[in-house]
Amino acid sequence: VDLLLMFCDVFQGSFNSEEAENVVKESVLGGDDYSQTHVNKWTAAIVERCLTQLVKLNKPYKYIVTCSVMQKTGAGLHTANSCFWDTSMDGSCTVRWENRTMYCVVSVFAVCIA
Amino acid sequence: MDDFMSEDKVGCSVETVIGENSYKHGRVNQWTTSVVEQCLIQLSKLDKPFKFIVNCIIMQKNGAGLQTASTCFWDNNTDGSCTVRWENDTMYVIISVFGLAI
Repeated sequence: VDLLLMFCDVFQGSFNSEEAENVVKESVLGGDDYSQTHVNKWTAAIVERCLTQLVKLNKPYKYIVTCSVMQKTGAGLHTANSCFWDTSMDGSCTVRWENRTMYCVVSVFAVCIA
Repeated sequence: MDDFMSEDKVGCSVETVIGENSYKHGRVNQWTTSVVEQCLIQLSKLDKPFKFIVNCIIMQKNGAGLQTASTCFWDNNTDGSCTVRWENDTMYVIISVFGLAI
């Protein structure tokens, strides 16, 4: 199963979420249908891969990556985030992806180590 | 961080904001915003040297499957998280709080 890859580029000491969104690469999860037996593996793999890429950037940041996958059955889904941090140095980026049978929302939070 | 992290506080915030209301598309936006705001206010009142991230998901109950995962790159000694799951007759609410030491 291929996964959604997100590369977040940290720009000049502060987090630039626009750049992060530009670098989203979509993978061939497009062919897979929502499967209860596999979804656990998918979400775990997505967050792991994102985090690995972020850590490779070697920037003085702590990271939190969250991923939600929801089956498409017509249910309503709403998500919200609120953050108490240093707005000049910290930032976040949320990417929404879907295919025929599921929605996927990935959020990355980057918190500067002072 | 686990010293003061209280699941009760988070559960209370949700109870206050949503209570027995039924899932309504027109109001859910307001609810998610209020829930995260309330949680964040409670947390900042604690006056601890932490940065906080509060994440809230509300899903209508209609048989759909939902899976969430999170992973963190931080200092295991000082940072932590807490996830609370709440529901009523028509919706599920999942709130995650992450606290990072300054």
